Amino acid sequence: MSGEEQQESALRRLGRSAKEFLYGMAGHDMTRFALKTRGSMEHLFILITMGDLLGIPILPPYYSLRLLPYVVPQISTWKRRMLRERDLTDALA
Amino acid sequence: MSLAQVFREYPNRRYVEFGGKGGLGKTTFSAATAYWLAKQGYKVLVFSVDPQASLSDIFEQDIFGQGAVEIMPNLYAQEIDADRHIREYQDEIRHKILDMYGLDEVPEEIEHYIQAAAAEPAMEESAIFDAVVDIVVGGEYDYYIYDLVPLGHALYYLSMASIYDEWIDKITALREEMQEYDQVAAIMERKKETEEDLILMELQDIKQRINTSSGILTDREKTAFFFVVTPEEMIILDTLKAAKLFAKYQVPISGYIVNRVIPSELADQDIPDYLRYRIEMQRKYLGEIYDTFGDEVLTCVPEFERDITGLEMIGKVANALFGGE
Repeated sequence: MSGEEQQESALRRLGRSAKEFLYGMAGHDMTRFALKTRGSMEHLFILITMGDLLGIPILPPYYSLRLLPYVVPQISTWKRRMLRERDLTDALA
Repeated sequence: MSLAQVFREYPNRRYVEFGGKGGLGKTTFSAATAYWLAKQGYKVLVFSVDPQASLSDIFEQDIFGQGAVEIMPNLYAQEIDADRHIREYQDEIRHKILDMYGLDEVPEEIEHYIQAAAAEPAMEESAIFDAVVDIVVGGEYDYYIYDLVPLGHALYYLSMASIYDEWIDKITALREEMQEYDQVAAIMERKKETEEDLILMELQDIKQRINTSSGILTDREKTAFFFVVTPEEMIILDTLKAAKLFAKYQVPISGYIVNRVIPSELADQDIPDYLRYRIEMQRKYLGEIYDTFGDEVLTCVPEFERDITGLEMIGKVANALFGGE
């Protein structure tokens, strides 16, 4: 590897580190927030399509069934979250 | 205008429906119209959305749950077996779950839900609704004749489409909002592409199916809806009410057909008073029907001397309906 190439790859490494550093400072929290919001909405979505699983009657069951295969992996975490007892400390989370 | 003229003048009205109270002759007219159109050289499917369908009885052939069965050249009839449709649909869902996650059996909790959903009160109607969508979007036939269920059910069927539509709109909106958050996260993490949201695609597909089906029912260009009435006071009052309700769902009414008219020539013969009074009563209500619906009354079909079953009798009804044209 020539000196010039070495210099360039070092520069690139530095650039990448800087980018990751900036992402960690500014972007990461936003990404986390976006994903968290999306997660909550996913659970809301399952509630309004699959509410029957918790005993909440939902209209219309026929087309809900078509969506069922896609939410199978989320069902258990969703149920846990929906049926979990809540207290004051939840507000702090 | 006669019924035959309506068909000639509006050749694009390929979806034909007969509505009215139970037992007035909807199935008979559906079969007779299918017979007449088939004789004219059109490929016709007459199908029933009634869980207690009677096409099998009128054609004297068991066609329940057998798909489209050829009754005579160009004439096909179909009775939808809702239970079977539901069972097949449940299996389809199970298979999809097994395939998607490489499982050997459906998790117990999910299986319970699949079974419980099938027992929901609206399930049968929904299944039939869905089966009808498959039939009408197929486009294999020149004419589709819906042998509709009695009025209340028909309205329920139409309102179901609008309820579905609103429900789908709401959850689609939520799903789209979720996708926006996905995209934000993806941009922040500098991923090139976000995964396609398969649920959103399913929702859009469901919405399109519902809209196609209810769109056909309410499309003036493509649909001819006929009301069947008989010359009796209660039937006239009920039909008026129903016509108002149908108008609310934008169902275009193409005309009224009077059934069960006792031939008035009989009055000139030596007949018992009983029959004479009935003829007089019918004459009075026929007058009312013409006063109320005017030009929209297309034709009067006589009371036949025997049951309408089998192709020969259906042919006779077709002659009476279309004036032997």
